[in-house]
Amino acid sequence: MPTRRSFLAQSGAALTSALLLPALPGCAPTNPLAHIKGQLLGPDAATGHLLRDPSRIPTPTHTLDTDVLIIGGGVAGLAARRWLHRHGQSNTLLVELAGEAGGNSSAGHNAASAYPWGAHYLPVPDVRNVELLAFLQEAGTLTGYAPGGLPIYNDYHLCHDPEERLNIQGHWQEGLVPSLGLSAADQAQFARFFKLIETLKTARGRDGRDAFCIPLAHASTDEAYRQLDQLTFAAYLDREQFTTPALRWYLNYACRDDYGATAAQVSAWAGLHYFASRKGRAHNAGSGDVLTWPEGNNFLVKSLIGQADAPIQPHTLAYALRETATGIEALTYNVATRQSTRVRARQVLLATPQHVAHRLLTAVPGHQLPPPDSLHHAPWLVANLTVAGLPQGPGRPLSWDNVRYDSPSLGYINATQQSLKQDDSGPKVISLYWPLTDEAPALARRRAYQTPYAEWLPRVVAELETYHPGVTPYLQQADLWVWGHGMVAPTPGLLWGAARQAAMRPVRNRIFFAHTDFSGISIFEEGFYQGIRAAKEMLAVI
Amino acid sequence: MAELLEAGPAPSLTAAPGPPAPDARLPGLLLAAVAVIATCGLIYELIAGTLASYLLGDSVTQFSTIIGAYLFAMGIGSWLSKFLDGPLLRWFIRLEILVGIVGGCMAPLLFLSFEYVASFRLLLYTLVGLTGILVGLEIPLLMRILEHRYPFKDLVARVFTFDYIGALLASLIFPLVLVPQLGLIRTSLVFGALNLAVAAVVLVRFPETRPYRRRFGAGIAAALLGLGVLFVFANKLLAYTETLAFQGQVIYSKSTPYQRIVLTRNPRELRLFLNGNLQFSSADEYRYHEALVHPLLQALPQARRVLVLGGGDGLAVRELLKYKQLQSIRLVDLDPGMTELFQHNELLLALNKGSLNNPKVQVLNADAYQWVRQDTTRYDAIIVDFPDPGNYSIGKLYSAAFYTALAKRLVPGGRMVVQSTSPYLARQSFWCVAHTLAAVGLHTIPYHLYVPSFGEWGYVLAGPDTHWRGDAGPLPAGLRYITPATIHDMLRFPPDMSEIPTEVNQLNNQALVRYFEEDWGPYVH
Repeated sequence: MPTRRSFLAQSGAALTSALLLPALPGCAPTNPLAHIKGQLLGPDAATGHLLRDPSRIPTPTHTLDTDVLIIGGGVAGLAARRWLHRHGQSNTLLVELAGEAGGNSSAGHNAASAYPWGAHYLPVPDVRNVELLAFLQEAGTLTGYAPGGLPIYNDYHLCHDPEERLNIQGHWQEGLVPSLGLSAADQAQFARFFKLIETLKTARGRDGRDAFCIPLAHASTDEAYRQLDQLTFAAYLDREQFTTPALRWYLNYACRDDYGATAAQVSAWAGLHYFASRKGRAHNAGSGDVLTWPEGNNFLVKSLIGQADAPIQPHTLAYALRETATGIEALTYNVATRQSTRVRARQVLLATPQHVAHRLLTAVPGHQLPPPDSLHHAPWLVANLTVAGLPQGPGRPLSWDNVRYDSPSLGYINATQQSLKQDDSGPKVISLYWPLTDEAPALARRRAYQTPYAEWLPRVVAELETYHPGVTPYLQQADLWVWGHGMVAPTPGLLWGAARQAAMRPVRNRIFFAHTDFSGISIFEEGFYQGIRAAKEMLAVI
Repeated sequence: MAELLEAGPAPSLTAAPGPPAPDARLPGLLLAAVAVIATCGLIYELIAGTLASYLLGDSVTQFSTIIGAYLFAMGIGSWLSKFLDGPLLRWFIRLEILVGIVGGCMAPLLFLSFEYVASFRLLLYTLVGLTGILVGLEIPLLMRILEHRYPFKDLVARVFTFDYIGALLASLIFPLVLVPQLGLIRTSLVFGALNLAVAAVVLVRFPETRPYRRRFGAGIAAALLGLGVLFVFANKLLAYTETLAFQGQVIYSKSTPYQRIVLTRNPRELRLFLNGNLQFSSADEYRYHEALVHPLLQALPQARRVLVLGGGDGLAVRELLKYKQLQSIRLVDLDPGMTELFQHNELLLALNKGSLNNPKVQVLNADAYQWVRQDTTRYDAIIVDFPDPGNYSIGKLYSAAFYTALAKRLVPGGRMVVQSTSPYLARQSFWCVAHTLAAVGLHTIPYHLYVPSFGEWGYVLAGPDTHWRGDAGPLPAGLRYITPATIHDMLRFPPDMSEIPTEVNQLNNQALVRYFEEDWGPYVH
């Protein structure tokens, strides 16, 4: 077995060097991480921060006309572009700050595998989300419908088994719900919680709409459920006597995973929504199944891009908006050519986070965006680690999602999970996700931006060592990505307060908004929904 | 040891002339040590030779080269002994401790490392060389210690007498007592302990060892403890190594990047193991391979083009070649180590009749799943002969998605057959394969037979229509198991292996691997 053999050889070498090196005179122990290549990446924060002082940007040298200018090439912007194209408005221009569109669904690749830099899966969708299903069918992810009417998903896109495992004190159990060493009382609380979720999954408000659903815009307005948005999830769990540490760990994990915030920071509605909104159905999969690709949701982004034929300009920062008699004039700066352009559009879609929209609308009155720092955006670290092997502890084998109980990170996913190869002894890429939730977001963000690669690397390696003791010699490459504004967190009052609805209202039918910031929940389905909602608003005006 | 002690003159041990030794029996003690260490030395040599022929096969070569290397290393040791100066007794005790550790650990180390090290031979000969050098140092050193105790002619006579007595003892008790009673690992450990005991006795009985007695004593105690622990867990160690699993003599073994191939032979049969799992026994493999090939091929008299997935032993291809109308047979097996072995090894060529070297046969070494997805040829028949679905990687080769891809490779009216584990020992697994094939829209015909070395074994025929018949066409002459009547019998499933409901095996549930673990769990734990 080559992996075991090289494992023995490498651990032997590691042991020998650990034992011998300190003893040899004049031969200090070398840096145990010296063999790991890699770099620190991230969204182009430096260019983005030009927004704070646009006077440093050269004045525009030429002019460009378009019907619709879309600023921001994340999922919302791309979904809007696709929708506009399919409904008669193909004269659009999308500008994107980064080198490629994709936003939180960016991806990278190396010799071992493609891998995600952000969002990496899509739960099997609700069958009522027909717009999403139509898109997935065109993407080849949904291959048809069974006689009973349920969608059939592409077997190669459904996450392959084994899907999840949890490391508790060195032992890997199946699934992420802790089961090892739970007392009867603990188990009873888990059972009560999941029973509650089953009830909430089918619950409807007095208006006949689902209590919880995706997109959340379709959820019931019934106060009985919406009042859950007023208290934190943690307070709700205390009130409902969900107190056992294992359950609280699990629920807190879920909040950090989907929202980049803790159960004490997000609202009870959001905390419950994470579980109760998962009601997808399929002929060949269940509601708990997910669709995934080695490159994560970048697969979906590439499909979104491919399903419309309209220009996308990368490396381009929009830095000012101004109303004119006929529409909107936007100033853009191309980082690659170092030239600025005046773009004249009849309509502009701001598919950017709210704090960016704020900067762009400095000279435009009448918008109802909340104050810039009112949203909670935790910074995230994503580490893509190329490993020659993973020393396997006792229990379940390597799975798609691998989590350790009480771990400060969220664990890692195996980017090579969907591989069909029999020989999986080659290098793998694993993607470690780490929302930096220990400090207030602004503070954590500043610290994250100031932390150099040389400081991140030992932290990431130490974290991985808690999953796989002795893994360090196997690490070949560690590329790290810091997301300053990882994702919006649904803090109490955000989802069902009046401010969120007001914020997405168009400005004089010329400036429109689409971003998951306007949903309050940062998932693919919400970005997709926001893009289509905004596109429909724009088309209605024409 | 006491009976071997003999009285002798008692001058100093280290240097002549000196004060008389306090104990006149001490030189006798050393002569007894000669017998013990000679026994130990030969035992180590026998262990290395036996282990090498056990693990590597070809016992004549292994024994011959091990003995040669060992004796040569002893020669090096003897030569090196002249560089040892100073207090010789201290050197001797050191040497015994080292021999005890190295020799004692030789068998456990070789057994354990066999599967893991890249070059087992290198490790083997390194250990043999090291032990040989250490053992080679022993006698010259002892002779120098004793040189002023006896006249030279007496010294030589006595030392070598005891040396050869020890050798005789070793050569008799090794095959008659030690291997049957203790096994190789424990024998190795016991003789390591004897070397340590010699060191301990010398340490205690010779007063000049006093300055370092405590330190050396602790070392000996620690080494004895280590060997003792290994002795207690010897069976666990052996169970951990694969060797216990194989009955019969290993005549070939090789670790390829994909699997460990082991061939064993006993007077009755040749057996092939992949990763420790029996693939076939030459005594009854004809049953398995006739049943795999003929029910499918007899019903396809028009077949010209056949695809075989897995089956790198060429035995299914041997059966296929009995149909003269076939124009091309393409075999896709992951492991070149496997197909090359069955293309070149004479014993195996006799078994598969050189099928893989037949001009009609094309052998491709590729990962079947990916290969099938990119293949564009269509086949009249496809034979799927993968290892059992014992892990998640192989489980993918039994998935609905894979069968969908495979069905696209059939011509209209074409058909495939899938080896589907045992319907008796792994009933859920067998029916899961059948249901998975049915789930992708194929008409299935499950069947089974008894293969003595496997037990009840099952297959599933699958095709787009219901036209298959068990008495459709002529069978090749000379078959030993398959007749129209046996085909008919194979279709019947008695109640203890009749159809049971199962899930369909999909990539996203790997139901089959889970069934397989459940089914086989009671047999392996």
